[in-house]
Amino acid sequence: MNQAFRHALRGLREHTYLAGVGAGVIAAALVLLGAYAMIVGNLEAVVSGWKRDVHVSAYFAPGQSAEVQAAARSELAGRPEVESVEWVTSEQARTWMLERVPEVEAMVKELGEGALPSSLEIALRPAYTSPEGLDAFAASLEQGGRFGDIDYGREWVERSGAFLRTLTILGVALGGILVVAALFLVGNTINLVVYARRDELEILRLVGATDSYILSPFLVEGAIQGVAGGGAAVALLYAVHRLVVARLPEAIPLALGEGGLAFLQPSAIVLLLVTGVAIGVAAAGLAVRRFLSRLA
Amino acid sequence: MIRLYHIGKSYGDRDALRDVSLHVEKGEMVYVTGPSGAGKSTMLKLLYGAERPSTGKMLIAGTDVSKLDSRQLPSLRRNLGVVFQDFKLLPQRTVAENVGMALEVIGAEPDAIRRRVPAVLNIVGLKGREEDKAGVLSGGEKQRVAIARAIVNDPAILLADEPTGNLDGAMAVEVMEILQAINLRGTTVLVATHDVGLMDRFPYRRLRFVDGRLVVGSTLGAARR
Ligand SMILES: Nc1ncnc2c1ncn2[C@@H]1O[C@H](COP(=O)(O)OP(=O)(O)OP(=O)(O)O)[C@@H](O)[C@H]1O
Ligand SMILES: [Mg+2]
Repeated sequence: MNQAFRHALRGLREHTYLAGVGAGVIAAALVLLGAYAMIVGNLEAVVSGWKRDVHVSAYFAPGQSAEVQAAARSELAGRPEVESVEWVTSEQARTWMLERVPEVEAMVKELGEGALPSSLEIALRPAYTSPEGLDAFAASLEQGGRFGDIDYGREWVERSGAFLRTLTILGVALGGILVVAALFLVGNTINLVVYARRDELEILRLVGATDSYILSPFLVEGAIQGVAGGGAAVALLYAVHRLVVARLPEAIPLALGEGGLAFLQPSAIVLLLVTGVAIGVAAAGLAVRRFLSRLA
Repeated sequence: MIRLYHIGKSYGDRDALRDVSLHVEKGEMVYVTGPSGAGKSTMLKLLYGAERPSTGKMLIAGTDVSKLDSRQLPSLRRNLGVVFQDFKLLPQRTVAENVGMALEVIGAEPDAIRRRVPAVLNIVGLKGREEDKAGVLSGGEKQRVAIARAIVNDPAILLADEPTGNLDGAMAVEVMEILQAINLRGTTVLVATHDVGLMDRFPYRRLRFVDGRLVVGSTLGAARR
């Protein structure tokens, strides 16, 4: 093992350029994978944020007393689908409105009570935010005649659900293509490395080296290249992330959740490095084995 | 030491060797000779396990190596030294590293390697050249490094395929003298060559091949038929 390590370092020293190209290709593949993971991660966070924000506004029919409203509120709060209920009286709604759009004051005055009825703002538990779940919940509210209007942006929920599904399918497909492309690229590069060192392999075989003796330094080299490539990829992604974050707020005022545009999770970084090492080791192992099997 | 019985080797429908039977005794030095394409290199390739015979049976030091699988190859190679016309050295490594490789692969300790390499370089007349890069040596010196690497494990057999093919007269003679000296120390030596001048100057038994057949030099009546 110690010897394999020493030989690996010697190999890297003797073929620094090719080893660098190998690490570079691994880095490029991991930058693609990492950037892609970052984009998907953020989009998913956005979409699931939307899902979490799904709420139902139930506007009381005119003439419901405060007691009826309070009773409706506590009844709904007790239902299993409901995460929270907020009671917005028509005064609160009016204050809220006028604070934000003072221009409509005259209009609100003219229309009177009915323009901004009291309402219950109901947030549902995530399990009930499917379009069907929302429909069922809304239908249950419509019974009893306490509520006039029920508003819940069903279309929006449908679209975001479809979007999330498309994202997942695209995600799996693209991710698969990227991994295969990365393996192909790295494999070809390592083939080049092996080709450049064919004399050494041939001589080792000739003097009676076992395949595992020949192979192990290459595996160690592959692992080192994987770590180097992975480190470079994470550093590059981080730099790009910083750059994008610095410009994003003015460019696209997207609701990206509290954290803004998130960098890769620590677990994703570890996964990226592990993937780099795995690609390096697997590509080296395959290339050397294939070469040895053709060698006399 | 080497026993071949009715060995044939074909590449597709081309026969490189046909019905070759021969014995080479322990400690012998013999030539494998014949015109270009006669099967000399093929003969040696069978012996060091780079190719398998298509037919026949062969024994090396009593072991049947006709159907060697790739896992048995290292142990055969550790008992054989092989030298080629093109040396097969790593030019960017030192003489000592090139020779030491053959010891490293069998798991020799660094200390043992440090002691053994100069001793072998002494045999081939390259004492003190340990730290020179192999790439800067002359052709004759390179071949002597290759020979040192081939014998550093004390193999029972040394195979040389046109070892003087790339060398001019004086250097060729030097290399032959070294092979002779190695043979005198007890190693069985096979040299493939078509250099008649050298064979006359260093007279040993000649196994002469023509078109894949052994026509002269077998010690077996069977081969003549
Ligand atoms: N790998 C191979 N595939 C096909 N034919 C081969 C192969 N190796 C050798 N041959 C053929 O086998 C025959 C013997 O070749 P070999 O190399 O043994 O000749 P040789 O006696 O060493 O010749 P030379 O003196 O030119 O080195 C030749 O006709 C050659 O073309
Ligand atoms: Mg030949």
